[in-house]
Amino acid sequence: MTTMKKILIIEDDSFLQGLEVGKLEKEGYKVITASSGEEAMKKINESGISAILLDLVLPNFDGFEILKKIRETEALKTIPVIVFSNLSEEKTVTRSKNLGATEFMVKSNFTLDELLKRIKANLK
Amino acid sequence: MNGKVIDNKSKKIIKEESNTISIISHQLRTSLTAFKWTLKMLLDGDVGKLTSEQIALIQKTYSSNENMISLINNLLEVNHSDEKISISYDFKKIDILYLLEQTLLEFYGETTKKGIELIFIKPESPISPVNCDEKTIRIVFQNLIENAIKYSNKGGKIFVFLKQKDKNVEISIYDSGIGISDSDKENIFKKFYRTKRAIKKDSVGSGIGLFTTKNIIEKHNGKIWFENTAGGGTTFFVLLPIS
Repeated sequence: MTTMKKILIIEDDSFLQGLEVGKLEKEGYKVITASSGEEAMKKINESGISAILLDLVLPNFDGFEILKKIRETEALKTIPVIVFSNLSEEKTVTRSKNLGATEFMVKSNFTLDELLKRIKANLK
Repeated sequence: MNGKVIDNKSKKIIKEESNTISIISHQLRTSLTAFKWTLKMLLDGDVGKLTSEQIALIQKTYSSNENMISLINNLLEVNHSDEKISISYDFKKIDILYLLEQTLLEFYGETTKKGIELIFIKPESPISPVNCDEKTIRIVFQNLIENAIKYSNKGGKIFVFLKQKDKNVEISIYDSGIGISDSDKENIFKKFYRTKRAIKKDSVGSGIGLFTTKNIIEKHNGKIWFENTAGGGTTFFVLLPIS
């Protein structure tokens, strides 16, 4: 079992979120979730977050605003933030990276096992 | 699950994706992601053991879903072709023989059904691992084999060859199909171009397969070309540098 590291999943599609949570919890991670930009803005202030999985298309605030806020938050400045979106335009990827995304992954191109591998690799 | 409605607030970010194709693709990808993850869970036995018949059926559905995801990726590549290609390439040393064999496996059912023989002539000597992006090279193989099948007649034969030539590998796919006329030669790799013979043989087609294939090969610093073969049919050649 992996260490009880806390992962924040910001994802508004409840079905996908449920599958992501199931996969990570099964691997021994503690998972907290946010389903909207507004909720995400509150949850990023929780202590002990080790990594964030961030969708971009969200109600209230978009993923870029959240990413900017994350990198402005002292405790979260250096933690891995994986942007996990079904958008893929070059400028979207570039903007995410410029705002401090650790990695950009297109959801449909990855299985949950592959996602898990990337999370583990980024937590090393 | 799925069917996520893009509200006004979310439109803000969607504007980053500049056009309708990108927006529709985002929505389609979300549904396909849900299918992909669920089918994978079923295949992995995460929700209980399945019979071999059930696994075979789900595997086919999974492959079909993967093809749809590839199609969307292809569409986006074409859509973004005037910009930098946005789909990231993950270059790694790949066993190209294994990848080709696995890709061919996807097509034996279809060729049997159509009465076409698909024959892989394996290399006589070992092939060095090739530094390439597995997912997009798989798309290249799929596109070329799909075309060979689509434009072959019942009783036709398709030969696939793999050879190492110095610091490159060469994959060639020979078919005994409709061939490519001289007047189409210049345009065959152009976006949305379909030859008259291709339209006559199969009216359904996007005309993006060979365009995308060429783009992918060029991203690998490789080459693609074709030759008409005596007695009809075409052979497509792909040359990929090993490192």
